Amino acid sequence: MSVLDKKLGREFWSSKWLLLAISLIITLGVGCYVGMATVYRSLQTAKTDYYSTSRMADFSIELKKSPLAEIEEIGRLPGVAAIRPRISFYTTVDLPDAVQPINGLVLSLPERRSATVNDIFLRRGSYFTDRRENEVIVNEAFAKRHKLSPGQWIHLVLNDSRQELFIVGTAISSEFVYLLSPGGIVPDPEHFGVFYLKQSYAQDVFDFDGAANQVLGVYSPGTTVSRQATLDEAERMLESYGVISTTPLVDQASNRYLSQEIDGLASFAVVMPIIFLGVAAVVLNVLLTRLAEQQRTIIGTLKALGFFDYQIFLHFLKFGLAVGVGGGLAGCLVGYYIAAGMTIMYRMFYSFPRLDNAFYNDIQASGLAISVVCGIIGSLHGTRLVLKLKPAEAMRAKPPGGGGAILLERIGWLWRRLNTGWRMVARNVIRNRMRTAAGIFAAAMGAALLSSGFMMLQGSLYLVDFQFKWVMRSDIDLTLKNERSEAALLEVKSLPGVKLAEPMLSVPGTFKNGSHRKKGAIVGLSRGAKLTVPRDLEARPIPVRGCGLTMSRKMAEILDVKRGDFVTFRTSKGLQRDHEVQVLEIAESYMGTAVYADFDYLNRLVGEHGAINQVQLLVDSDPQTQEALFGELKRLPSVQAVNCRSDMVKSIEDTLIASMIGFIGTLIIFSGTIFFGSILNSALIGLAERQREVATLRVLGYGPWQIGNLLFRESMIVTVIGTFVGMPIGYGLTVLMAISYDSELFRFPVVSTSLTWIFTAVLAILFCTMAQLFVQRTILNMDWLDALQSKE
Amino acid sequence: MATSLSDSVTGNSSNPAESLIRLENVDKIFQMGEVAVQAMRDVSLDIYRGELLAMVGPSGSGKSTILNIVGGLDNATNGKVWFGEQLLSDFSARELTRYRRDTVGFVFQFYNLVPTLSARENVMVSTEISDEPMDVLEALRMVDLEDRADHFPSQMSGGEQQRVAIARALAKNPELLLCDEPTGALDFATGKRVLRLLVDLKNHLGKTIVMITHNSALAQAADRVIRLRSGQVVEVKTNDQPVPPEDIIW
Ligand SMILES: Nc1ncnc2c1ncn2[C@@H]1O[C@H](COP(=O)(O)OP(=O)(O)OP(=O)(O)O)[C@@H](O)[C@H]1O
Ligand SMILES: [Mg+2]
Repeated sequence: MSVLDKKLGREFWSSKWLLLAISLIITLGVGCYVGMATVYRSLQTAKTDYYSTSRMADFSIELKKSPLAEIEEIGRLPGVAAIRPRISFYTTVDLPDAVQPINGLVLSLPERRSATVNDIFLRRGSYFTDRRENEVIVNEAFAKRHKLSPGQWIHLVLNDSRQELFIVGTAISSEFVYLLSPGGIVPDPEHFGVFYLKQSYAQDVFDFDGAANQVLGVYSPGTTVSRQATLDEAERMLESYGVISTTPLVDQASNRYLSQEIDGLASFAVVMPIIFLGVAAVVLNVLLTRLAEQQRTIIGTLKALGFFDYQIFLHFLKFGLAVGVGGGLAGCLVGYYIAAGMTIMYRMFYSFPRLDNAFYNDIQASGLAISVVCGIIGSLHGTRLVLKLKPAEAMRAKPPGGGGAILLERIGWLWRRLNTGWRMVARNVIRNRMRTAAGIFAAAMGAALLSSGFMMLQGSLYLVDFQFKWVMRSDIDLTLKNERSEAALLEVKSLPGVKLAEPMLSVPGTFKNGSHRKKGAIVGLSRGAKLTVPRDLEARPIPVRGCGLTMSRKMAEILDVKRGDFVTFRTSKGLQRDHEVQVLEIAESYMGTAVYADFDYLNRLVGEHGAINQVQLLVDSDPQTQEALFGELKRLPSVQAVNCRSDMVKSIEDTLIASMIGFIGTLIIFSGTIFFGSILNSALIGLAERQREVATLRVLGYGPWQIGNLLFRESMIVTVIGTFVGMPIGYGLTVLMAISYDSELFRFPVVSTSLTWIFTAVLAILFCTMAQLFVQRTILNMDWLDALQSKE
Repeated sequence: MATSLSDSVTGNSSNPAESLIRLENVDKIFQMGEVAVQAMRDVSLDIYRGELLAMVGPSGSGKSTILNIVGGLDNATNGKVWFGEQLLSDFSARELTRYRRDTVGFVFQFYNLVPTLSARENVMVSTEISDEPMDVLEALRMVDLEDRADHFPSQMSGGEQQRVAIARALAKNPELLLCDEPTGALDFATGKRVLRLLVDLKNHLGKTIVMITHNSALAQAADRVIRLRSGQVVEVKTNDQPVPPEDIIW
């Protein structure tokens, strides 16, 4: 080992805390990168593998009912490789210990195992056997939650009659990697399950002999036929059988959530490391510039002794290199564990045949590489500075720079008001321009991280409140069998514990505006409805009235319509007629693409009178009354599905709150490291630079806390300015995130309250104070007599 | 015994010395913004192989500047600097580094030791880049610091640090030793010892040595003395009988 490396080693040791702080920032940056890139790839690979082994459908078409012969025609379309007709119905599950009705989705599946579209992946038990007709395969999460095993019996309400089914196996499926009940946003295995029946049995029980109500299809690989054209053609062919919706894979709910999550990971894997490594590079730059200035004479001496410039350059570069390598290696390790943790979390929400954490050599290597590059970039400026000097020059003391009056001093009235302490602080902050700028930058990044984190939290909470408490306010939603008259409403109103019952009519159809088309539904709300309340941007209720639509913003964007514009609505049930309807209001919506209209107006539009197909309830929260209510509901023949919204909202909130704690913790650690590292860096450098000044102050009778106070004020000024700069950046980051997450499923509300900014500022000040305690320790341990005697 | 300037330029005929370094009409001007400082004015002089040359003059007279140019640490503004047959003033930065590395040993006015390295390690800094270095301990022995090898600069007195700096310059085994006030910070006795060391290096190892001092008494030990004032050579004096350092009194 060269003696210069020894020198390096000792200098390293003497600034170990600083280097540790900088390395830690790098570690987190690389950790984020490695962790998220690893999970990104694991998820992406798991998804691709799963989709291909289970022949995940590229599209599905939901129908009222179509003969199989007609459906088979779709399979012969050019560009379509395979199709599968399927029977799909929502159902009610009757579990002995469950008070509330549980909902489920029933799907038909070929009797014999074959490489079929949307094949299932068995977890326990077996596929269907020849022993009985009424066999069922239950989705794994539901089975686990309700402790159901193969060999047990279960009761489902199929086509109005309670059927007993024998569980042969449990399974997962690529179409339900992220399994949601209708209207839900988090998986809820407690209240929702998927049940696979034999094709023949499903045909029997639903009176679907030789018919199906859904088509799944996959495209031929490498086909040149336009997918949209194929889909349009398929839809046209089946039009007379009542096409309810056409869903390409990109719009398939589970796939959409999964893909969005994967995409989100990709952008976080870029943004987070940029923030962290950017801060690390800037902080390192400050440290090395100072080091190079401090070692000016040593550099000159080495040059005089005959060291080549590149040797000296490399010597200083090693400083940054070591920080890069050290922080990078630690980051790779941390990243691996971040990935491990995230994988566990993803396993809770996403069901794959297997999802394992992996050690990807190339990701780890690139993690190390970017951190080394960061270390080098951080050292480049300071190191290059010394190379420009001629040896004779380097050995002379640096001409005192910026010793003149600072701008502030020229503002006489202000300057006179400052006492000596503040004047010293002001001079130092302004004279060490680069260090101050670096400190402001770091604090800004930390504050941006904090504020955008808080905004995302508040956004999630707001979304849940807005969507599940303000717009949708019912406790229980009932779906009726077909359209019913007001009599059904009166019947429901008389049930025990029902405080309020409101009728709804949902009419599915296609909205058209020029070339823009979108399938959806118009929901008719009774005048003055209290349980579904469309709202505007400020969450003020928008009364639904008159002859026209109240359209959610997302739907309006898709159709490219404004208030007052007309759209064409073609119903997909019954008489398929085109209606010209006016958009009267735009309602804010963060989920889905709802369209509302006045109940009576909608009835008139579709040629009905007082038709109802959904009822929303507000009920007594007393468990006994509820039990009675659920018992009655099960018995009502007109009710097809009972949806306990209040339970769903509760499970959403529980999930949200559980993940919030981890989120806040991570946020604080991450931003804290940035603040702490940067403040420590500039305060300790400032202290080292001014040892003599500090010593002189000590001689004059200043105590260590008074001196700490001077440094504290400097750090605080920088932190406060940086935090103010960072807040709008955080706001911008949140807006960017909201834009990138904007989809038909979700729009992320950008919410900031004074709390966002107060929390950000308070935490920033807290971090600054904590860093100061560390600095204070150094001041207390400082041998100031020695500093006074040593010459620089 | 003093000789005139013209005598010196024609050379000492009784001693047909070979010129190692020759400066011809060298100017050095430092430009600092508006102000130009002329640190050397039309300086011409020879440094002969194997001699001990003393440079004296008041502070600011340009002694260090000349030494820097001779040592390849700085470029002349005008004029030529010869190193043997080669034109030093035309050297590229890389060639200058090679020259410093292979030919010159520099002892700085303010020692310039690396504070985080021990005496031994400070010497090693220069042996590591040298082609035929001296043994590190040998070099320290020559300056009587063998037993302080593992001490750090902060644990040594100014004189000891100066001797480490000399050992560092020596250890490279350079042909030309340039010492900027090697005794400036030293007391009488230590100063004499350092001077004795330089004389021995010249006598026994045949080194060429240039030594700056503003103490004229010390210059008595040199073979020749160059006196500077305001960047100009005002006198060149040859000592036929250099005084042994031990006999110098000041
Ligand atoms: N890098 C520089 N920039 C500007 N002026 C310089 C520089 N180096 C030297 N000078 C000036 O050149 C003149 C000669 O300086 P030099 O250091 O050679 O003097 P010196 O004889 O070595 O003095 P001392 O005995 O005090 O060391 C001085 O006026 C000095 O201020
Ligand atoms: Mg000098």
